[in-house]
Amino acid sequence: MATRLQFENNCEVGVFSKLTNAYCLVAIGGSESFYSIYESELADVIPVVKTSIAGTRIIGRTCAGNKNGLLVPHTTTRVELQHLRNSLPDSVVVQRIDERLNALGNHIACNDHVALAHTDLDRETEELIADVLGVEVLRTTIAGNILVGTYCALSNRGGMVHPHTFIEELDELSTLLQVPLVAGTVNRGSDLIAAGMTINDWTAFCGSDTTATELSVIENVFKLREAQPSAIVDEMRKSLIDCYV
Amino acid sequence: MRLEFCWFCSSKIYPGHGIQFVRNDAKIFRFCRSKCHKNFKMKRNPRKVKWTKAYRRLHGKDMTKDSTFELERKRNRPERYDRNVMENTLKAIKKIDKIRHDRAADHIAQRWKPKAAKERREARKELEQSISLIKAPLAIQSQEPAITVPKIKVKAPKQQTVEDQLMEE
Repeated sequence: MATRLQFENNCEVGVFSKLTNAYCLVAIGGSESFYSIYESELADVIPVVKTSIAGTRIIGRTCAGNKNGLLVPHTTTRVELQHLRNSLPDSVVVQRIDERLNALGNHIACNDHVALAHTDLDRETEELIADVLGVEVLRTTIAGNILVGTYCALSNRGGMVHPHTFIEELDELSTLLQVPLVAGTVNRGSDLIAAGMTINDWTAFCGSDTTATELSVIENVFKLREAQPSAIVDEMRKSLIDCYV
Repeated sequence: MRLEFCWFCSSKIYPGHGIQFVRNDAKIFRFCRSKCHKNFKMKRNPRKVKWTKAYRRLHGKDMTKDSTFELERKRNRPERYDRNVMENTLKAIKKIDKIRHDRAADHIAQRWKPKAAKERREARKELEQSISLIKAPLAIQSQEPAITVPKIKVKAPKQQTVEDQLMEE
């Protein structure tokens, strides 16, 4: 189910929040409305954690993570690191990375199986990504842009990329990532996909400027319409149980 | 609050002191006082400047390899807060600090040790050779047999006899 919201009158919700299958990080806003929307949707399913990174609120763009782990930049303070470690479940590994390219959310797009990485990332960083997030790392560009984390929103069931991506590139990426991809926009034609929305296997949060058309495209490609957490379990049960005796 | 270390001299920077410089490649340089900052601007290498910790460690003046340094390593993977672990860590910090201090002092004492023996050897040699600067050898011989000074042989000048003197005239 896709929800439309704003962070202090700003529609770029992907900048101020980070949503994965195991946890959700939310920036500390002036009013509680941003946090409360996430809480009402997700509180009983996954932990929703209010945090800052390096004293800033742009947490969605500075950190990268999936259900296995969370990568934060080296500017993260010791206190914030400890807060994240205390609030997140033990299955999630929190790792601080020493990397010149600080905004990990802009450089890394990942789901639970595969990650797209900026071409200029260090070798040690690439190894850490593969190790902490448990993913296969691919260094690519999207529509000629090296900031793959901004121009691509990825979940386990689908992905959306920059609107000017060529069809051949789209097909190639789709086969590499093993998910259906679509080139679309968010927030009334903004091509910064991952900055305008956050995505999960069963929910999506978009800026309030997102048109109904964009929203329907998102719901279709990420298969959100019928996906409630219970729905995922039911589907799995159907595939696992052969027959009832 | 975090106590950082000066990039130049490696001393602790307390809150309210020093300058931080951020270079264009996002590397942060912290300085404890303008002395270190000005040395940095002059492009001096701390490993060549005698009063810095970097020089001292490089030239073996200070302790470099010790297990007590493991405590202050930078850790990138935090652990969940546990009250007992925190309590034990606080106690351990005090102990480990004291041990590190003692070991560092030992290291410096070890460096100074050969000096005492060397000084004694040199002093003994000087006593043997140059005692004549202080007291005449004959005086020493008559006064104190305790000072073991080897007898110095002096060639006595040939005594001119009266007959020779008369001869010369």
